[in-house]
Amino acid sequence: MSRPGVVIAGRLLLGLGLVLLWTLLHRVLGDHTIAGLGDIAVRLWEIAQNGVLLRDIGVTMLEAGAGLAVGGLAGFALPFLITRVPGFEAALRPFIAAAMGVPKLALAPLLILWFGIGLLSKVVFVALVVFFLLFFSTLAGIRGADPRLIAVARVLGLRELMLLREVMLPSTLPFVFASLKVALPRAISAAVVGEFIAADTGLGSYIQNAMSQADTVGVFTGVIVVTVLVVVVNAVLDHTQKRAMGWRHSAIGGF
Amino acid sequence: MTPGKGGPVLEVRDLARCFGGRDGRDDALAVIEGLSLAVAEGEFVTVAGPSGSGKSTLLNMIAQIDRPSEGTIHLRGETILAPGKADLNPGWNCQIGYVTQEDNLLPWRRLLDNILLPLRAQRRLDADARTRVAALIETAGLTGFERYYPHELSGGMRKRASLVRTLAYDPPVILMDEPFGALDAQTRTELHADLLRLWSLKRKTIVFVTHDITEAIALGDRVLVLSRAPARVVDEYRVDLPRPRDVDHLIAEPAFARLYESIRQSLARQAPKARRA
Repeated sequence: MSRPGVVIAGRLLLGLGLVLLWTLLHRVLGDHTIAGLGDIAVRLWEIAQNGVLLRDIGVTMLEAGAGLAVGGLAGFALPFLITRVPGFEAALRPFIAAAMGVPKLALAPLLILWFGIGLLSKVVFVALVVFFLLFFSTLAGIRGADPRLIAVARVLGLRELMLLREVMLPSTLPFVFASLKVALPRAISAAVVGEFIAADTGLGSYIQNAMSQADTVGVFTGVIVVTVLVVVVNAVLDHTQKRAMGWRHSAIGGF
Repeated sequence: MTPGKGGPVLEVRDLARCFGGRDGRDDALAVIEGLSLAVAEGEFVTVAGPSGSGKSTLLNMIAQIDRPSEGTIHLRGETILAPGKADLNPGWNCQIGYVTQEDNLLPWRRLLDNILLPLRAQRRLDADARTRVAALIETAGLTGFERYYPHELSGGMRKRASLVRTLAYDPPVILMDEPFGALDAQTRTELHADLLRLWSLKRKTIVFVTHDITEAIALGDRVLVLSRAPARVVDEYRVDLPRPRDVDHLIAEPAFARLYESIRQSLARQAPKARRA
């Protein structure tokens, strides 16, 4: 990278360009197609004032977070369990691949029938989406672990839990972070989509309500809030990854 | 060095290892066949052989990370590995150490933690062990680098660390698979001296595999020459050079030159026939 000043100036310039483009489109296409930035700012201020913004962010993040925790942990832990029994993983693989092929979006209405319009149906939905992402990359990480390193660790006396902690978990870590990078935005999207279908709170429900009232400003406001959430969550993940994998950071730089 | 004093520590009898030949095909490749050797307590045996002669395979089987097709391996008279034996027990309960070609340090652990790893795993990490490790680190010239990650160290330092890691938990038998193979000549000579110094502190039983004749003579009490695949021991040379040896000046000694020539000829007989004029 060249001087940071150039990067910052470039970013400001691009940002300014985007604002100009947006304003132009708003002028040309009209209020109903592209909401004005000023109107969006006013709407943001309103829902921040009356508590709707914080409540909806809270609901959506709770759904995404709980789903991510459940689906992510299951998707991360299961590969370690099934690879312990030789042959089991190979037997299971086509079924998991088939299950992955089911379009999760198409399942959302079913999940709402089963678990109601409240929190639970969205948590299950998010968990399903996240599970497969984590499952396959953790499995790839386990398979990709260096067999010589494992063999030598065993010669050195490492068994079971210690082998898991010292060799297997760190070997899968890059894979887990790579899939989390995909899974985090997906989790938030899944929560929002679940709320589109049936919910009375949450950002998805806010966007859905705005749409049904032909409230373009409301739709744009909701989408922008979701986008900002994803960006913030990704930044937190990047930071965590740098801390968790500091051992390789100094050599390779961020990735 | 006389082997004996209550029989060999490590004994390999009629070992064979075939690869391939799956799916009913009859093209199994025998890498090792009818290989026998015995190593006495405190003896430093070097094994020289052409590349592809199954040297690593031999050590893998002694370390129990690979299974023989035929033959048995014995430690102090006890049969520790036979083709029928159910489960491999890598390292035979930490009785057999293995310094591999690659350093195989954990990239995510600092140097000191890598060295202490086997002691931690074996629940033997006490103040005494820490003192011993500190002394070993000092002897290997690694003092000051304890908190570095492996990728921050040079190849030679990583080899030293991997050597110290095995010496630290003190297995009675140590296997070494061309541990200095990938290093430049200068670093190799330094590491030979380091290894001999570390070995002289506490004479472990060592089986050291190499394709380098100079290394085989400089380090060993005895040099075994392997045939090309299927490998077995074809020649045996006793190295009567006095210890402690000065690796740098050893090459100038007439005894060294004579031994070098004999081993060279022995290895040359193992070269593929087409290349013999």
